[in-house]
Amino acid sequence: MKTKLNKLVVGVGASLAVMAAGTANADIKIGIAGPMTGPVAQYGDMQFSGARMAIEQINANGGVMGEKLVAVEQDDVCDPKQAVTVANNMVNDGVRFVVGHLCSSSTQPASDIYEDEGVLMITPASTSPAITDRGYELVFRTIGLDSMQGPVAGNYIASLKPQRVAVIHDKQQYGEGIASAVKSTLEDDGINVVMYEGITAGQKDFSSLVTKLKQANVDFVYYGGYHPELGLILRQAQQAGLDAQFMGPEGVGNKDINTIAGDAAEGLLVTLPPSFDQKAENQKLVKAFQDKGEDPSGPFVLTSYAAVQLIADGIEKADSKDPYEVAAALREGTFDTPIGEVQYDQSGDLKSFDFVVYKWHSDGSKTPVK
Amino acid sequence: MHDVMYFLQQLINGLTVGSAYALIAIGYTMVYGIIGMINFAHGEIYMIGAYVSLIVITGLAVTSPAWIPLVLLVALICAIIVSSSMGWAVERIAYRPVRGQHRLIPLISAIGMSIFLQNYVHLAQGSRNIGFPLLIEGGISLGGGEDGTFQANLSYMQLTIFIVTLICMTGLSLFISRSKTGRACRAVSQDLKMSSLLGIDTNRIITATFVIGASLAAVAGLLLGMYYGSIDPLFGFIAGLKAFTAAVLGGIGSIPGAMLGGLVLGVAESFTSGYLSSEYKDVVSFGLLILILLFRPTGLLGKPEVEKI
Repeated sequence: MKTKLNKLVVGVGASLAVMAAGTANADIKIGIAGPMTGPVAQYGDMQFSGARMAIEQINANGGVMGEKLVAVEQDDVCDPKQAVTVANNMVNDGVRFVVGHLCSSSTQPASDIYEDEGVLMITPASTSPAITDRGYELVFRTIGLDSMQGPVAGNYIASLKPQRVAVIHDKQQYGEGIASAVKSTLEDDGINVVMYEGITAGQKDFSSLVTKLKQANVDFVYYGGYHPELGLILRQAQQAGLDAQFMGPEGVGNKDINTIAGDAAEGLLVTLPPSFDQKAENQKLVKAFQDKGEDPSGPFVLTSYAAVQLIADGIEKADSKDPYEVAAALREGTFDTPIGEVQYDQSGDLKSFDFVVYKWHSDGSKTPVK
Repeated sequence: MHDVMYFLQQLINGLTVGSAYALIAIGYTMVYGIIGMINFAHGEIYMIGAYVSLIVITGLAVTSPAWIPLVLLVALICAIIVSSSMGWAVERIAYRPVRGQHRLIPLISAIGMSIFLQNYVHLAQGSRNIGFPLLIEGGISLGGGEDGTFQANLSYMQLTIFIVTLICMTGLSLFISRSKTGRACRAVSQDLKMSSLLGIDTNRIITATFVIGASLAAVAGLLLGMYYGSIDPLFGFIAGLKAFTAAVLGGIGSIPGAMLGGLVLGVAESFTSGYLSSEYKDVVSFGLLILILLFRPTGLLGKPEVEKI
C-alpha cells in the first residue's frame, strides 16, 4: 500500500514538473472569441480572418519576446449566455489575452469575467459605451463608440433636412443604444422625429410596421440593429411602396443584406469605420489577405488585426506577459497599427476614431458620401 | 377615409400572416386531437418546407428560366413530399415507440426531434439568413392615395396566400367530413382504443394525421418564406410557437378552432403593431392567450374534454 502511494506521489510530482516546464516554454495564447455560427457569423469571419493574419505575420517575424502566439478560437454565437461560457473556457485554458467579443451584448457579460480573472481583452467591434464606462482596467477596444457613431449619423441626417424621421431599433444593447444616440442628436438639431419604436430581433413580418411608417408619411428611417431585420424591412417597404431613405449603423453594412433585400438595398446609407484597406500604407497587408483568398475590406478585419498587434506591442513595451502591466503600457504608449496611430484614454477607449457615411449598393459595394 | 384605409391595410396584413399561422396550427391541433400529444417538432417541419422550396426554386431558376406558376407548383410539390416524409419519419422514429407511455415521454421526444432537425439544417444549410426571391410581384390598390392620403394595397402575394389557404382549408374540411379516412380520423380522435377494436387501422390514421399536418406546414413554409423574404434555421421555432398559441387560442384539438385562432392572432399582432407599438406585439398576443385560457380554458371553439373511461 505504501509503495503504491509513493509511486502515486512520484507520478503526480513528475506530471506537475512536466506541466511547470510546459508553462515556462509556453507560447503566448491569444483567445479569439466571436460568432463563428449564427445570424451574424459573417462579422465573426472578418474578426477571425484579421486576427489569424496578425498572429501569422507576428510569428513569421519572430513572435513576441521570442515566443510564438497561438490562437485559441471559440464560438460565442453572439449570444450573451454562450459568451459567458466562452469567457470561462478561455480563463480555464490559461488564456491571458483575448481579442473579442464582437456583439456588444456578448462583450458586456464576458468582460466582467475577464476583468475579474485578470485577462486583458480588446474588442475589435463592440461599440456600446457601457462596456468601457465601468472603470475596468483590462478592457480595451479598437473601434469607436456608439456615442461617436450616433452623432455622425444624426448630423448627416440633419444635413439632408428630412421632414419626418422615424427611428427604429431592435431593443438590443447595440441597436437601441445607437438609435437613442441618433434620436437625441436629431432632436438637438431640431429635426422632427415622429416615431421611435422597437422591434423584436428574429422577427420576420414587418408589414404592420411598414404600413405604419407609410401612414406616418416618414421620409427618412434610421434603423439601429443588424442586417437580417433591416434587410427584411427594406424589402417589405419596397413592396409596400414606402418612399423613404433608410440608414443604419455598421451592423447592417455587409453583403448579406443584399441577398435578403435584393435591389431594395440600393442607396441605403451606412455609417462604417473608414475603409482601412484603402489606405496607402496598408496595401502590403491587403495583398497578404488577397493572396490567402480573403477579403480585407470588411469593417472588422483590420480592427481585429490591430487588436492582436496591440497585444503583441503591449507585451513588448511592458517587457512582461502580465496583463496588468500590458494594460498600463497600452494606456501610456502610442502605437502604429493598420487602423492608424492608436492612443488609449483611461477608460480603454481610443482617443480618436472616425466613422464615415457610405452609400450602399445592390451589388454589395459601397461609396463614401462624406 | 384615410383612417379606414389604414385600418383595412393593417387588417389585410394581419389576415395574411394569420392564415399562414392557421395552416401551421392545423398540424398541432390534429395531432393533439388524435393522440393527445404536442408535436413540438412541427415548427421545424415548416422550416424544412421553406428550405426545400427555396432550393427547388433556385435550382429551377438556374437550369431553365421557366414559367413562374410552374416553378412555384414544382417547388410546392417537392416541399410537400419532403416535409410529409419528414412528418412520417418523425412519427415513426420518435413518437410511435414511446406512444402509450407517460405523457411527458413523447413530449421530451418531440423537443429532442425539434432540436435535432434545427441543428441538422444548421449544418446542412448554414446558419445565415438566406434571401427568398419574390416571384409574385405587384398588387391592386383598394382606394385612398388621393392628395397624399393613405393608400391601401392588396399585393398579389397576399392574395395568393389567402387563396391557397382557402383551398387548403376547404380541401381539409371536405376530406375530414366526407372521405373514409376522414371519418376514421374523427373516430380515432373520439376514442382511439374503441376505434381500433372496431377494425380501424389506428397506426395508419395517426400516420396520416402527421402527413397531412406536415404537408400544410410545407405549404405555409413556401408562402411565408416568400412573403417575408428570408429564411434561417431558427425561424420554424418562432413560427411554431405562434402557431401553437393559435391552436390553443382556438381550442386545441379543433380544426375550425385552429383556423380561427390563427386569424385572431395574426390580426391582433398586426393591430398592436399598427395602433400601439411593435414592442407590444408579443405582449398582446400572449396576453390574449392568457385571458382566453382564464375565461375559456378550452379555447374559442374547443369542447370541454370529457374524461374517457
